Amino acid sequence: MPDWLAAALITLLKSTVVIVALLTGFAYMTLVERVLLGRFQLRYGPNRVGPFALLQPLADAIKSIFKEDINVTLADKLVYTMAPIISVTFALVAFGGIPAGPAHSLFGENPWVYNLDAGLLVLLAMTSMGVYGIFLGGWASGSKYPMLGGLRSSAQMISYELSMGMSLLGVLMLVGSTNFQDIVYWQAHNGWLLLFQGLAFVIFFISAFAETNRAPFDLPEAEQELVAGFLTEYSAIKWALYQMAEYISMFTASAMMVTLFFGGWKGPQLLNAIIPGVSEWPIIWLIVKMAFFVFLFIWVKASILRIRYDQLMRLGWKLLLPLALFNTMLVAFYLAFVGGVQKVPGLYEYHKTGWGLWPLGLLSLLCLLAWLALGDRSRGLFNKAHPVRGEQASVARAGGD
Amino acid sequence: MILAFYILGALAIIGGVITTGARNAVHAALGLVGTLLAVAGLFATMNAAFLAATQVIVYAGAIMVLFLFVIMMLNANAPVTAKDPLPFVRELAGIAGTLIAGAFVVIAYTYKDPRPLAEGAADVRGGTAQAVGETLLTRFLLPFEVVSVLLLVAVVGAVALVQRPAPQPDGFGGGAPPASHAGAELEREVQV
Repeated sequence: MPDWLAAALITLLKSTVVIVALLTGFAYMTLVERVLLGRFQLRYGPNRVGPFALLQPLADAIKSIFKEDINVTLADKLVYTMAPIISVTFALVAFGGIPAGPAHSLFGENPWVYNLDAGLLVLLAMTSMGVYGIFLGGWASGSKYPMLGGLRSSAQMISYELSMGMSLLGVLMLVGSTNFQDIVYWQAHNGWLLLFQGLAFVIFFISAFAETNRAPFDLPEAEQELVAGFLTEYSAIKWALYQMAEYISMFTASAMMVTLFFGGWKGPQLLNAIIPGVSEWPIIWLIVKMAFFVFLFIWVKASILRIRYDQLMRLGWKLLLPLALFNTMLVAFYLAFVGGVQKVPGLYEYHKTGWGLWPLGLLSLLCLLAWLALGDRSRGLFNKAHPVRGEQASVARAGGD
Repeated sequence: MILAFYILGALAIIGGVITTGARNAVHAALGLVGTLLAVAGLFATMNAAFLAATQVIVYAGAIMVLFLFVIMMLNANAPVTAKDPLPFVRELAGIAGTLIAGAFVVIAYTYKDPRPLAEGAADVRGGTAQAVGETLLTRFLLPFEVVSVLLLVAVVGAVALVQRPAPQPDGFGGGAPPASHAGAELEREVQV
C-alpha cells in the first residue's frame, strides 16, 4: 500500500472514530442533561428505560428515526433538507482540529484529525459557518415563526462571533501562534492562559453560550415568543440533526475553552510522581476538562433565565465587544512596553523578557474584579433602552427643563 | 494537489453559474457561498491557510449572511420575471462579459513571474498570519490604513442614513414638530 493511501485511510478512520464518539457523546449528553436538570429542579428526571435510564438515548434515537418525516408544503424542499445537514457537518468538522494529545501518542498516530498552522482561525471559520444551518432552516420552512427565529439567530451569532474572536486576540499575541499544539505547549511551559487572560476567558465564555444558542441566550428558539423558532417545522430525524449540531458545538466550545485557557490535553504534572507519564496520556485529560465545561453549560441552563433580545444585543455590542477591545489594547501595550516571554527558536522553551507575565495576570484579574464590583452601577451604560422619541420629549417637558 | 485544484475549481465555477442562473435569490446567494468556500479551499491548497480561514470567516461567514439577511427581509427571493428596464442590457452584458473573459485569456497566456517562484514562496513563509501581517503593516501600511478609513466612512454613512433625527425637547432641529401627548402615544405604537 502506498504511503499516501495509508495516510488517507488512517485519517478516514480517525475522522470516523471522532464522528462516532461525538454522536455517542451527544446521545448520552441528552440523558445527562435531562437527569441533571431533574436534579436541579428536585425531581428524578428520566429513570425508566434500562438501569439508570442508560437505554433512554437508544429509545430516543429509534423514535426519531422511525417517526414520520413531515415535509412542509410551503417549504423550499432542497434548502429545507440541506439546512440540518449543513448544521451538523460544520459542527463535526470544527471538532476535528482540536488536538487530544502529543504527536504520535495514539498507537503511533497523531490524536487529531487535522492540525493546521491556522488551526484556531479554521475552527472559528467552521463555527461561523454553523449559522447557515439555522438561518436557512428558518427561511426554508416557509413560515413566519421559523423565519423570525432564523433572523434572530443570524444576528445573534454574528454579533457574538465578533467579541469571541476579539477576546482571543490577547491569547494570540501572547502565544504568537494560531496553532493549537503551540498554544498547548506554551501553556505547559508558562502556565495556563487563564492566569494571564482572565478577562478574555470570561468574555469568551459568555460569547460561547451565545454562539451555541444555549440558555440564557437561546433566543432563536424562544418558546414563549416563537413557538420553537427555526425548529418549529422540523420533525423526526431532521430535528434530531439540529439537536446533534447544538450539542456538538457545545462540545467544541468546551474543547476550545480547555485548549485555549486551561492547558489543553495536558494533565497535572504532579501526578507524574505516582504514575510516570500520566500527564501526557492522550484524550483522557481533554475529556475530563471538557466534562467540567459541559456540566457548566447545563448548570447555567438550570439557573439563569433567558434574557430579552434587545438586552442580548446591548450586552454583546456595548459591553462584551468594548471589553474585548480593551483587553486587546491592554495586552498589546503590556507586550510592547512592560514584558512578556519569548520563544527560543526551534524549541518549546521560553525566556522571560522585562517583567514577565505575572503583572499582566494581575491586571487582568483586577479588571475582572472591577467588572464584577461595578457591574450593578455601570449597567445603565450598556443596558438602558433608548427612550422612544415622544417619551423623552414628554419626560423633558414634565421635568420642566 | 492538482486533483484538489480541479475539483475545487469546478465547484467554484458551478457555484458561480448557480449565482447568476438561479431564479431564486436565496439559491443564488447560496451558490455564491459555495464559490467563496471553494476559493477558500483553493487558497488552502496553495499553502495560504491564513487567507483561506479569513476568506471563510469574513466573506462566507459574515458578509454573505448579511446578504441573505437582506434578501429574506425584503422578500426578494421571488423570481423576477418582469421585462428588463433598460433596452439592450442583455446584449451589453454579453459583450462586456466576453471582453472580460478575453482579457483573462490574454493575461493567462502572457503572464510572466515577476520573480522566481522559490524566492516568492520563501517570502510568504507558508502564508501564516505572521507573514501576511508583517507585509500588510510594513510594505502596504498606507493602503491598509486608507482602506480602514474607507470602511469607517462607510459605517458612519450607514449610521447617518438610517438614524432618525435626534429628539429635541424644545422641538427645534428635530425635523418633526414636537409631538403632543397623543402624538407621542401614536408614535410609540408605530415604533413597536
